[in-house]
Amino acid sequence: MTSAAGILSYNTVVVAVGVAAVGFAAGVVGSLCVLRKRALAGDAAAHATLVGVACAFLATGRRDLATLLAGALVAACAGLGMLVIVRRFTRTRDDAATALVIGVSFGLGITLVSGLPAWGYANSAGLEQFLLGHTAALTARDAWLLGAVAIVAVAAVAAILKEATLVAFDAAFAAATGWPVSGIDYAIVGLVALMVVAGLPAVGAVLVTALVVIPPVAARFWTDRVGTMVVLSGLIGLAAAAVGVAVSATRPGLATGPLVVIAAAAAFAFSFLCAPHRGWIARRAEAARGLTVRRGDSDGETGR
Amino acid sequence: MTPPTRPIVEFHDVTVAYGRRPVVWNVDLVIDEPCLFGIIGPNGAGKSTLLKAALGLVPLVGGEVRFFGEPLGRVRSRVGYVPQRETVDWDFPVNVMDVVLMGTYGRLGWFRRPGDRERRLARECLDRVGLADVAGRQIGRLSGGQQQRVFLARALAQQADVYFLDEPMAGVDVRSQERIFHVLDDLKAAGRLVVVVHHDLRTAAEWFDRVALVDRRVVAAGRTIDTLTPENLQRTYAGHVDVLDELAQAIAARGRTP
Repeated sequence: MTSAAGILSYNTVVVAVGVAAVGFAAGVVGSLCVLRKRALAGDAAAHATLVGVACAFLATGRRDLATLLAGALVAACAGLGMLVIVRRFTRTRDDAATALVIGVSFGLGITLVSGLPAWGYANSAGLEQFLLGHTAALTARDAWLLGAVAIVAVAAVAAILKEATLVAFDAAFAAATGWPVSGIDYAIVGLVALMVVAGLPAVGAVLVTALVVIPPVAARFWTDRVGTMVVLSGLIGLAAAAVGVAVSATRPGLATGPLVVIAAAAAFAFSFLCAPHRGWIARRAEAARGLTVRRGDSDGETGR
Repeated sequence: MTPPTRPIVEFHDVTVAYGRRPVVWNVDLVIDEPCLFGIIGPNGAGKSTLLKAALGLVPLVGGEVRFFGEPLGRVRSRVGYVPQRETVDWDFPVNVMDVVLMGTYGRLGWFRRPGDRERRLARECLDRVGLADVAGRQIGRLSGGQQQRVFLARALAQQADVYFLDEPMAGVDVRSQERIFHVLDDLKAAGRLVVVVHHDLRTAAEWFDRVALVDRRVVAAGRTIDTLTPENLQRTYAGHVDVLDELAQAIAARGRTP
């Protein structure tokens, strides 16, 4: 596998595949998150991860990916818990509570990560790469870990897709028919936290929500079925991650995260413009033909 | 010895509050035979809240609701529900068939996907509400009346013994209203209890066998003809001047019904 030229080393290929798998899983999990309208919760979890990375390093003195990501996962869940607490006990509204959690936890995370070297932790260098994502530092071993997390997340979505779709579409009906709505919600948000953490090394805390949110929003333009949307969203996430890794590998100065997000945004722009039926051009063309979208059928009813 | 007959639904001293503000209080209501039962009252009277309390969607501050003598948790599969149409996002990426199939999820349980049997049942339910030909359509591309009928078909797919419907006629064209009413009438004929939250007094008198007049508590309940009296309506709608006109029509309609 190892190429003597070193352009495509074994390591580079494995890292690219691992990160692409994370992109796929992020898109798949992101579909549930977006359909359940919990995109902001993902952002809160993402911004809280830095604190976890710093604390995991402080507590163990180790810098291996598994340790740091375990810390990030704990912090992401703590951030989500804080969100619930702020909302419930201070009667702060959803958007304001999310902004508050994002700001506070991110400020704390930046302070810790940037302060560590100054406080004498010389070997903490590299933690700041979790800010914007940097795949060059990843080893094949790291990539296997990320790939395993991706597989677990995709399998979990496949298992609860029916239940999650029901709750996302009509939570009241789900509750009335005996489904544990908050339990399923916790599962969805927990998976989002997991994927945000898995996306951290490649995309970074600032932008990783985009990897969870943009692919499903782009995928929605092409289909009216949840199942198709989930798979399509995964493929868009996969492609965005692969493009980001490939470009940053050939241009060593560029952080991976922004490139991944730009690639995902390009997929979104293309979907928004060119998708049949829901795309902008298709809708303009339909309007130009003087055919407003027909609602209702031969009943002769008019829509709302 | 005949076993004691257990009422289909019984509310005992039910009180519900949002925060510290009580919305309905001390509701006692017993429905002991299959019928079309209307819960009638002015806006903000707590009709929907009462329904949600019965389904366990809002917590009770006091009292209890029983179905067939049992708490809801033990008989959930026998209770069907049609929520208000406005409560969901109709741009959601599901088609009509997908939504109706959701009615079968309760019986399917965790992880099992709907199969041929469920699809056949869903198709049957769609046929009963007259929507068999739009099974593959995205739900946002339906009229309001059709959307309401999709929700009704989903409830039918639950194959329940008691049905709760929250304002099923709101914003629905006359054709759909009639279709819905016929389906409900068939359910009653098949021995099911159908409880409907309804705000239109004009149609209430002709549709329901029995009604409860609700204004944060039960003002009166019983056979429609005995309950929709001018005095009861005055007591229920006291302070709601805007409905005086409706009230007059309701009384007139009552005069026409046997």
